[in-house]
Amino acid sequence: MLILQVLINGILLGGLYGIMALGMSLIWGVMNIVNLAHGALIMLGAYITFWAFTLLGWDPFLSLPVTVALLFVYGYLLQRFVLNLIVRAQLFITLLITFGIEVVMINLARILWSSDLRQVTPAYAGSNFSVGGLTVPYVRLWVFVTTIVLSVLFLLLMERTRLGRAIRATSQELRAARLTGIPVARIYAVTFGLGAALAGAAGTLWGMLFPITPTMGGALTLKSFVVAVLGGLGTMMGPIVGGLVLGLAESFSSTYVGPTYPNAISFGLLVLILIFRPTGVLGRREGG
Amino acid sequence: MSIKRWVPLLAGLLVLLVLGAAPTVVSPFMLQFLINLFMLAALAESWNIIGGFTGYASFGNVAFFGIGAYTTGVLLTRVGAPFALALPAGGLLAMVFAAVVGLPILRLKGHYFAIATLGVAETMREVVYNVEFTGAGTGLVMPIVRSPLPFFYLMLAILAAVTLLNWWLSESRFGYGLIAIREDEDAAAVMGINTPLYKTIAFAMSGLFAGLAGGVYAYWITFIDPDAVFKVIITVQMIIMAVFGGAGTVLGPLLGALVMASVSEWLSTHLVTLAELFNGLIVILVVIFMPKGLSDLIRHRTFSLRYFVKNLREHRI
Amino acid sequence: MKRSVGRRLIGAAAVGLLLAAVVAWAATDTIVLGSAISQTGKYAREGKFYVDAYTMTVDAVNKQGGVKVGGKTYKLELKLYDDQSDPNLSVRLFTQLVTSDKVNFLLGPYTSGITIPASSVAEKYQIPMVQGGGASEKIFDRGYKYIFGTLPRAEFYFLSATQAAVNLKPPIKTAALLYSNEAFDRSVAEGSRQLLKEYRIEKVYDEQYQPATQDFTSILAVIKSKNPDLILVAGHAENSLNFIRQSQAADVNPKMWVFTVGPPTADFRQALGKAAEHAYGVTPWLPDMDIGGEVFASAREFSKQFKARFGYEADYHVASGAADVLVYKFAIEKANSLEPTKVRDAIASLDVETLYGRVKFEPNGQIALGQVLIQIQQGKLVPVYVAGKFAAKPIYPMPKWSQRK
Repeated sequence: MLILQVLINGILLGGLYGIMALGMSLIWGVMNIVNLAHGALIMLGAYITFWAFTLLGWDPFLSLPVTVALLFVYGYLLQRFVLNLIVRAQLFITLLITFGIEVVMINLARILWSSDLRQVTPAYAGSNFSVGGLTVPYVRLWVFVTTIVLSVLFLLLMERTRLGRAIRATSQELRAARLTGIPVARIYAVTFGLGAALAGAAGTLWGMLFPITPTMGGALTLKSFVVAVLGGLGTMMGPIVGGLVLGLAESFSSTYVGPTYPNAISFGLLVLILIFRPTGVLGRREGG
Repeated sequence: MSIKRWVPLLAGLLVLLVLGAAPTVVSPFMLQFLINLFMLAALAESWNIIGGFTGYASFGNVAFFGIGAYTTGVLLTRVGAPFALALPAGGLLAMVFAAVVGLPILRLKGHYFAIATLGVAETMREVVYNVEFTGAGTGLVMPIVRSPLPFFYLMLAILAAVTLLNWWLSESRFGYGLIAIREDEDAAAVMGINTPLYKTIAFAMSGLFAGLAGGVYAYWITFIDPDAVFKVIITVQMIIMAVFGGAGTVLGPLLGALVMASVSEWLSTHLVTLAELFNGLIVILVVIFMPKGLSDLIRHRTFSLRYFVKNLREHRI
Repeated sequence: MKRSVGRRLIGAAAVGLLLAAVVAWAATDTIVLGSAISQTGKYAREGKFYVDAYTMTVDAVNKQGGVKVGGKTYKLELKLYDDQSDPNLSVRLFTQLVTSDKVNFLLGPYTSGITIPASSVAEKYQIPMVQGGGASEKIFDRGYKYIFGTLPRAEFYFLSATQAAVNLKPPIKTAALLYSNEAFDRSVAEGSRQLLKEYRIEKVYDEQYQPATQDFTSILAVIKSKNPDLILVAGHAENSLNFIRQSQAADVNPKMWVFTVGPPTADFRQALGKAAEHAYGVTPWLPDMDIGGEVFASAREFSKQFKARFGYEADYHVASGAADVLVYKFAIEKANSLEPTKVRDAIASLDVETLYGRVKFEPNGQIALGQVLIQIQQGKLVPVYVAGKFAAKPIYPMPKWSQRK
């Protein structure tokens, strides 16, 4: 019975991890930017949800589209006017600038919202249902469903629309994309906007389950790395699979090895995957 | 060999002598600041070997710092070894660890390498958290040493040694080999450079000095726990300082550490709670306007708007 | 013409004011208390409690005539830095406070992990540090002479809880112990194991978790399968908050649960809302206690002033911080000197009543203070077990989640 409960816990958590990493994976795959401010974007999404909930009384699922739209605009502007300036620089330059953005965002959030523990608690927050001795929290289930819906929408956007094709073309061959008349600078901005929007959605969902603080993002950035690499970069659904792998790895190691081991195991897994299969679980077998 | 080659070395020796005499004139606070500065500069120089010369953007060098700190700490407090033994042991273990880990992960390139090193550092932190012998989450308390002088001279010595090593790299065949790897690894291999060996040695050297700095730090600060000596921000500091000064140059990381440490110290005592915010803004502005660092700026001897605009043009889309 | 006269007048007035200020500054001597506290970074939330506590107490002392030494009156002054939740920066800032800013005495930072290295600066330069933010025994078992702490000992955090547990009807038989892998919480766990043994409560679960843990569902699944009567949780407020919320979602229903940190603090109860109901906590201090002394006549008075000024309810962090400042006032007046060594001796032998309770330090420098077991009942903190007796009726066993409204 315990093993089934652990399985359910792992899967439900894994969905959330998946959507957290989806945006990071997109930005990484298309522009080769490893975005250290990713967790800060999730934090921003969570705070917007918190404000909508406490100031306007909006249900988090209702404010989700608003958060997504706001984060898209924020991400678009950030790429257009800041990150586009250095997008072709050496690798550690992009790491440093996104780190700088993270620090600035955390500190602005502290000034805006203070460091108090914040929580989004709709009336149904703690409710659950039981099936044959297994307990399933409603919120986690809805979060999981939302993750799947958003991922499918994202996939459709990338595969079926002109915009999606333009983004994929840009990611494959920058010069060629430019020659065919794709406005690369704008495509980059839209891509970052999409990544930020997904991070914002993850923030809304995260904020329904866990406390919101200005410094919550750092750990989430690291988790997103692990998920993105586990799933394999460059595959659209990789992060979702990676999320499930991490969710299950965490809940099983916490139960059967000990609650202090999940991080050791997931980071260890990250290193091993990079060494032995750098393209991830879903990726084709090619050199890194 | 011409005399000209030895000029930087002599100049370095002179600076070293002046710094060595500093404790007689500066205030205790200044001394504390200098110890920290030497540590940061030594870390930036040690990162420079792998990140600057070899072009492998390691994002996990804090692992070596932490291993050095913990080895020294455990030997001092659990085994009762003298510091004179505990410190070199810390450096050595960090070096061996770098070599062993380096062999497989140095095959990775670009972001994959960066993330793998980050993963190694995080894994090490979590491992230390789970080992009772290292004090686990409680951390380790060191005996107190009232005089800051031993730490001052040790950090200075480590800094001098790692700077000397960087200088040697800039002058030697081995160093040219590393630069060749940075510029084009495949071509370097064709030229007959044993690239895996070169890279591993560079990584191990980097590990040795980060480990030594960690060992001195542990004894100096009197208390270490896994979060404090394995945190990502220490790696980020190494990179920022090296890049700000000029990655891949001998004096760049020194210069970068000097300026960045002074600025952030000034901010933290004058702007207090806004210090971090400004630190973040400075990082953003620096990488946008002078991604090649201070040493490039000095070499061009221009401080004109044109220089910054040129930098801006170079990497934007 | 007219305008220029006006300007001159303003100018003269400004110069006059400046002169007056300089004279006033020179006339009143000050005693400077220095500290570096986390105002940004991961401990910013708790750091704020201490900044506010220090600020308010210093102002109150000054308003009531300051500190009298050798027939002269001194004003207290604060010199505060932000350590950005970084122990390395903390040590440098404390060194700066002692050697460059030449502050007279030191107040503590927050959390054991920063207090341990920071207090070694105090010991090195032999300047007393009175701190209310670190309770781990690692701070006090190094034989230091200049570090004093006003938080109760970590090992005894759950003493009142275990005492109450065996006297409840029906009595608690089994317990789960869950604690964070950190200096302070590991000390708490060490002590709690002894307590459980002593009071013959069977321990059915004993695990630690990483301090940054957010998801407790797997831990909860295991605890649920052991079905303990009592759950003891040691960790930061964020951990307690996650634990309670996820217990509700996972439908975990012990008869009683007790948290080291969280329930006494206002933003914790606000963030949790109704889910916080019935949770037990421990605190050495409550805002409506009938204790007091000089400067603040009662805890109630202190809490009222504090809330009016800072807009949130004081908890034991705040009161402990206030006591730290008061310790200096009393010790300096007792020593009748500003000499650090003399003040240090006066602190060591101090025995006074304050708004925080009786302040008297053990030989190792830590206060001897009992903990009150509290329960959140209808959003209010109710002291249920005080000094070996039930003071109010506890709601026990806690109603199951499904039976709560």
